[in-house]
Amino acid sequence: MDWLPFLWLIFSCMNLTLLGLNFYEFLGFSDLEADYLNPYELSSRINYVIVPEYLLHGALCILFLMTGHWIMFLLSLPTAYYNLKQYLSNKHLVDVTEVFKVVSTEKKARLIKLGFYVIFFGLVITRLALSVVSAVFADDEDIVAWSTIY
Amino acid sequence: MGPENPNRPNYPLRPAATPFASQQSSTPFLSSGPVVGSEAPAFRPGPPSASNFQAPPFAGGPLVGTEVPAFRPPPSIRSGEVARPPPPSSYGTPTSGFQRFQNPPMPSAGQVPPPHTSLTGQPFIAPPTRPPPGPASLFSHPQQPLVSMGSPPQSIKTGQPNPNIPPPADQRFSTPRPSSQPSSPPTGTSYPAGRGTYPGYANMQPNSVSQAPPMQPASFQMQQGGYGPPMQSASFPLQRGYAPQTPPTSLLAQQRGYAPVPPVSTSSGLYSGNQFQQHGIAPPGAPQQGLAEDFSSLSLGSIPGSYDAGLDITALPRPLDGDVEPKSFADMNPMNCNSRFLRLTTSGIPNSQSLASRWHLSIGAVVCPLAESPPGEEVPIVNFATTGIIRCRRCRTYVNPYVTFTDNGRKWRCNICSLLNDVPSEYFAHVDASGRRVDLDQRPELLKGSVEFIAPAEYMVRPPMPPLYFFLIDVSISAVKSGMLEVMSQTIRSCLDSLPGSTRTQIGFITYDSTIHFYNMKSSLAQPQMMVVSDLDDIFVPLPDDLLVNLSESRSVVEAFLDSLPSMFQLNMNVESAFGPALKAAFMVMSQLGGKLLIFQNSLPSLGAGLLKLRGDDIRVYGTDKEHTLRLPEDPFYKQMAADFTKYQIAVNVYAFSDKYTDIATLGTLAKYTGGQVYYYPNFQASIHKEKLKHELTRDLTRETAWEAVMRIRCGKGVRFTSYHGNFMLRSTDLLALPAVDCDKAYAAQLSLEETLLTTQTVYFQVALLYTSSSGERRIRVHTAAAPVVTDLGEMYRLADTGAIISLFSRLAIEKTLSSKLEEARNGVQHRVAKALREYRNLYAVQHRLSGRMIYPESLKFLPLYGLALCKSLPLRGGYSDVQLDERSAAAYTMMALPVKSLLKLLYPNLVRVDEYLAKTEEFDTKKRLPLTVESLDTRGLYIFDDGFRFVIWFGKALSPDITKNLVGEDFATDFSKVSLSQRDNPMSRKIMEILNQCRKSDPSYFQLCHLVRQGDQPREGFFLLTSLVEDQIGGANGYADWMVLLYRQVQQNA
Repeated sequence: MDWLPFLWLIFSCMNLTLLGLNFYEFLGFSDLEADYLNPYELSSRINYVIVPEYLLHGALCILFLMTGHWIMFLLSLPTAYYNLKQYLSNKHLVDVTEVFKVVSTEKKARLIKLGFYVIFFGLVITRLALSVVSAVFADDEDIVAWSTIY
Repeated sequence: MGPENPNRPNYPLRPAATPFASQQSSTPFLSSGPVVGSEAPAFRPGPPSASNFQAPPFAGGPLVGTEVPAFRPPPSIRSGEVARPPPPSSYGTPTSGFQRFQNPPMPSAGQVPPPHTSLTGQPFIAPPTRPPPGPASLFSHPQQPLVSMGSPPQSIKTGQPNPNIPPPADQRFSTPRPSSQPSSPPTGTSYPAGRGTYPGYANMQPNSVSQAPPMQPASFQMQQGGYGPPMQSASFPLQRGYAPQTPPTSLLAQQRGYAPVPPVSTSSGLYSGNQFQQHGIAPPGAPQQGLAEDFSSLSLGSIPGSYDAGLDITALPRPLDGDVEPKSFADMNPMNCNSRFLRLTTSGIPNSQSLASRWHLSIGAVVCPLAESPPGEEVPIVNFATTGIIRCRRCRTYVNPYVTFTDNGRKWRCNICSLLNDVPSEYFAHVDASGRRVDLDQRPELLKGSVEFIAPAEYMVRPPMPPLYFFLIDVSISAVKSGMLEVMSQTIRSCLDSLPGSTRTQIGFITYDSTIHFYNMKSSLAQPQMMVVSDLDDIFVPLPDDLLVNLSESRSVVEAFLDSLPSMFQLNMNVESAFGPALKAAFMVMSQLGGKLLIFQNSLPSLGAGLLKLRGDDIRVYGTDKEHTLRLPEDPFYKQMAADFTKYQIAVNVYAFSDKYTDIATLGTLAKYTGGQVYYYPNFQASIHKEKLKHELTRDLTRETAWEAVMRIRCGKGVRFTSYHGNFMLRSTDLLALPAVDCDKAYAAQLSLEETLLTTQTVYFQVALLYTSSSGERRIRVHTAAAPVVTDLGEMYRLADTGAIISLFSRLAIEKTLSSKLEEARNGVQHRVAKALREYRNLYAVQHRLSGRMIYPESLKFLPLYGLALCKSLPLRGGYSDVQLDERSAAAYTMMALPVKSLLKLLYPNLVRVDEYLAKTEEFDTKKRLPLTVESLDTRGLYIFDDGFRFVIWFGKALSPDITKNLVGEDFATDFSKVSLSQRDNPMSRKIMEILNQCRKSDPSYFQLCHLVRQGDQPREGFFLLTSLVEDQIGGANGYADWMVLLYRQVQQNA
């Protein structure tokens, strides 16, 4: 039972990274809107991180599945599907020539994703805490019983 | 009697105003017009001083009152002085609807607000101004039965019985009469008559003479066509202007009114209305006439739902005079820039978001910053040598005629953000009593809507670049075989002298087939040195410089190169095209300076990066969700290249020549995002297309070009430009990057309201184009315009500009074809037109019985037709088989950049008959255009069809062989596809060439190649001419009449 806290630690780290990446992208788009950034720079910045972001999320998703965290896996699935769809229809990269036409929708998408990751992060942190608690007080019957509810 | 008139009645009449107001308030339509008038009584009675009169809002108000919305004659400017003399009053008064527009200029600003505040306070008291006309019409009432001639026209005009009116009419009878009588008994009759609201026949005549002239003939004809022959099912109560006041029309109208043969159910409705009105209850003409004159209408649908509805095809409106720019825009503010630079889809900006949402025609602007000015109207150049350019501190607006100087000339108020700025001491001048600067007449920037500032060093990020032309030339076998190479070399050579920039101009060449050839043109060489790079994966530039040379220094080398170019590759059998790598090479050479890159491409890029597949025009894809992908660039390489080109100030013009699929959709992106242009010559043959290529390439090389430009459109608080459409790339949300601009490029932008309610009276627009001129000066071209804020939808319609709307629509529709099916794009256009007309109808449906009639504002009378033409234009037409994909894409790229005038000509081309002229000696009149339908073509005639891009000369079957022989020579019986029209030694031939040259000269941006077509010579005739006759039913598309019926039905739905 010792590995569980570590697993959750890894999950929370990944989640935090995703959160950071999304925030970075969101910031990029708002900077573009406010004219702090030109489209060339924006597209090169975002296109640089977008594929790693998708891969990271995919990894997180698969890791949930492998470790048998069904609920978490199902929760992360919609975003994974969205990412995959974007990737397959070749819309994931920022098109420098038309970026101003999509900037508001992209911003909205990033904001939703950001919200999703924040909630997800809350869940992951809770589970991390619980797993730590349960590992430390492994003998305490009550807590173990309580943590299994999740 | 004149001068006192407006004064006198005022006192007694005032009381009468109130009853009216309350009644009238129920008619929503009056809201805008009369509003202006309403101010009048509020002010007048007190001090009838001269100053009051002068203030525009009052002038018309008291005189006309409710007719306000009715009249829309041109002389809006005069309304100021008009108040006094009665004859002009008939002129001036109508304009009161426009008066607001005179508010905007700042001088009057001080005077205007009060009325307006009172306005907003009680918007519905509008009609108090009516009293004067009221009594007038009352006076006439008793006469009406006697003057039977007079009333019918009126009733026609008003047409629809208005249930609301009669009771008020009664009241009017009682109230105003006593009051008006004392005031001016003698003038009573004649004076109201001058207003034209008066139904009295005798009085009408002078009136109509003075007022109607422009409109009269038109309406007269219309009526004749519509009503004259009773059996005609189509009636056309075109309720335009003053028609009914003219005796002849009234006669006709009467005829119709009493004609017992009303096959059209709807018109019978009208008749009853007429009679109803004639018999006494007769609502005062004023309000109704006002309403009626607001719109034009078209009768259709005798039997709802039947196709052969009584639609008189000849009566449909057609833009046979070409594009008529709305006068209102320039007229309402003489300081506005000319409409060739900036056109708004409607010059009335809605004051609220809710109003804007009811305007379905997109609020926006079409900007052509460098439009060619006719001689004498050049844009003045201003040099603030030491002062620096005067701009607003906050919003960076350039100083313009609408800024106001205050604090005795020490401060100026920005018209866009209303910030008070300090006037630099060098720019200081005293201000006289009226707020004008004393040095005004020496300051073109304060007088003219368009000026050009010379920009100091702050406006440069690098020294101004020299004009630079770089040529990327395909020399594969097809280029040589088609003769393109030869024509192109000759043309460039002949243009060397006239390239802009005199001694600064730089030039360079790269040719390519499966390898890339660089040319060292160093001035010390006698012959150019050719260097071949065959490593396509890792392109490098073999020489650091000397690939791009100063033209005047290396002139002889360049000439030697151009002379030898065709022969150099004469025996080239290479079929490959390493376009992508060549593009990269050109980029590397040019990136230091920027400039213009001209690409001559003859086949599909087949080697290296950016190679394109023959994805072709697949019929199976049409109608599916993937249809649009055909029109999208296939390889992101091209978009990336285009973005890089723009970044380094390189504009790309693509000349494509192939007879096979070349994927213009992909190649064109290079031009689209760099502010360039696509020229497409399908199946280029030097023998046929030589002149066209020569002319267009010459034009491209020699026209005045602005380099490394950026453009921004500023507008007042509360509104914002949200999207831009055209060939450019956005560098930030509102900054258009334009590596090269010239007079043939226009840009469209859409506007949205940011605030729910606009509090200002006027919205100002300022287009600023910062560029480097060919002479190496950094300049800023500034166009400023003011547009009034309106509170009423009818007003917006009145100020609409069909040309700008269609220009914007076409761009939106073309953009839509890139993300959805053609069908959907066409439907989009149709829906928008229908929605706009429905909204317009809703404005009037309450007061008028409109069944069986389609109504539209005078300003938009051509909108349905242009909408139809747009749906039939190359980019949107039909489906797979109708237009080749490459042609479609090329036309789309072209239309995205076309200025309004050329676009309208392309959509509704000119068709003129010339055989009669050829036989006789009279002066040729290009104005005699014909409707674009097969019916216009007489088998005995010779016609010229001109859409600005090509001529089609149509020979009727029964055309006298004499003419044919004179024009095309002895071989007139042969196949016309092999015959070209050239000058022959006979007067007829000379004459027709003269006509053609005249047409070409009128718009030199493209060259119209002549296609000769003989009647019945299929498929040639169909291909060249019949598919372009937009009013006919072609393939599955609607004809004009059907289209109108279709629109009418859509308008009816949920109306």
